[in-house]
Amino acid sequence: MLAEIVISGSGGQGVLVIGRLIAEAGFLEGQEVVWSPSYSAEKRGGTVSCMVTISTEKVGSLMITRPTIGIAMNHAAAIKLEPALKKDGWLLVNQAENGYQPARKDIHFLTVSANQLALELGSESTANIVALGALLSIHPVVSLDGVIKAMAQLFGSKILEMNKQALIKGSKSVKTKDEKI
Amino acid sequence: MSKKVLMVGNVAIAEGAVLAGCQAYFGYPITPQNEILEHLSKRLPELGRVFLQTESELAAISMVIGAGATGVRAMTSTSSPGFSLQQEGISYMAGAQIPGVIVNVMRGGPGLGNIGGAQGDYFQAVKGGGHGDYRIINLAPASVQEMMDLTMLAFELADKYRNPTFILVDGFLGQAMEPVIIRDAVTKFPAKPWAITGAKGRPKNLLDSFEMNPVNYPSRVKKLLDKYEIIRRNEVRFEGLLLEDAEIVVVAYGSASRSAMSAVKLARTDGIKAGLLRPITLFPFPEKALRELSLRIQAFLVAELSGGQMIEDVRLAVGLDCEVDLVNRYAGVPLPAEEILESLRGIALKQRKN
Repeated sequence: MLAEIVISGSGGQGVLVIGRLIAEAGFLEGQEVVWSPSYSAEKRGGTVSCMVTISTEKVGSLMITRPTIGIAMNHAAAIKLEPALKKDGWLLVNQAENGYQPARKDIHFLTVSANQLALELGSESTANIVALGALLSIHPVVSLDGVIKAMAQLFGSKILEMNKQALIKGSKSVKTKDEKI
Repeated sequence: MSKKVLMVGNVAIAEGAVLAGCQAYFGYPITPQNEILEHLSKRLPELGRVFLQTESELAAISMVIGAGATGVRAMTSTSSPGFSLQQEGISYMAGAQIPGVIVNVMRGGPGLGNIGGAQGDYFQAVKGGGHGDYRIINLAPASVQEMMDLTMLAFELADKYRNPTFILVDGFLGQAMEPVIIRDAVTKFPAKPWAITGAKGRPKNLLDSFEMNPVNYPSRVKKLLDKYEIIRRNEVRFEGLLLEDAEIVVVAYGSASRSAMSAVKLARTDGIKAGLLRPITLFPFPEKALRELSLRIQAFLVAELSGGQMIEDVRLAVGLDCEVDLVNRYAGVPLPAEEILESLRGIALKQRKN
């Protein structure tokens, strides 16, 4: 098993899209992958999450109960994700609202101001891609190249360039390699 | 060259139908199977085939009867409440020996239920939710690849036995995405001399599901019953994992079997000799394989997303001398591997004490 990733946020933040990009990139790199959304009746802005498993061998359970990596696109998602993480797991929190502090001492904690960085590129809508870039710079479960290839498959040419820039910007935004606290 | 792509389970069912030569699809939207309609609404018209969004599930199954009667490969798909509505038509198809594929991407129930994945329609699908003496071939995929492959097989078996065939799968698999090898399209189809095609230059064909004559009708039903016996003999499919030296065997299908696969591997690292038997056909049920295992194994664990339905068939197969436990979730909630592992640990502990 290489990674069990849970991505969570609110509807419209592109949570399913970054899950899909990780899965596609893993697939292009020859790994076994499963992408699985948690779906329910939700209104716009409701909670959305998805699970992605990247593995060298056939994947069993579709469901991830103890992720090795959590990406929280907002604080509400971080509060839910943190207790579920495996020991020594990684939690990346989008600090759009500033100041999320994890309670656990046995996980790696990273932050990225994804909305602000995305806005600097012209649109907050790429905040999810910035966050993905940030994660991959620290924990390369799939390569940036793989994600760019996946984006070329999934995105129209109009938005491709902006998203590439968002990915690169995100990947350069995290300064320390290990912020274990 | 076969192509490998990432695909959503429901889309794999739809593509499997296209590859199997499905000429006509009729359906009514319901979550969690909507991607099947969505995909076919584009694909089938592109190929000059029929896609029709009906006014109800009742209309959909009736149209499958009509299309199937003319000899074309026809399909409908739905989720639990819609599947209930279709039972009368399915019973009619069985009686009139009209082939067709019916997909049920199960959600929580009973009643309206929720849109989460579940396996609570096992009794209805496997034992016959409609009236009368009939059986349906039930195929239960456990991966997105199998959703494509078994949909193709469903069309083949439906034609071979002139019988409706079900794809019974839970919503979690319907929504999940995995790599799939795209299969080659079917190019050879069986002749259907029984089909209603206009009777030019031949005696007329009649397809109905009963006879007024009280002498002829039982012999007609007997033919159906004989057919089901042949299906029982020839069409049992299952997959085993680590069964050779297993001391506890998990029995599970669909997404529950995926969790079970993880649990069995984790149990092995704990020193528990667990194995997995995964029925691929629910009717016919792999009862012989289970019975043979029961001669050397005393403990079975059924993992399912229902209140406990398939467990009844496992108990029938292995008899009263074996312990058959249940680990389950229901009402649209997934079953975590850790939960199955806990049950395996409990059984192993009990075995050590004895």
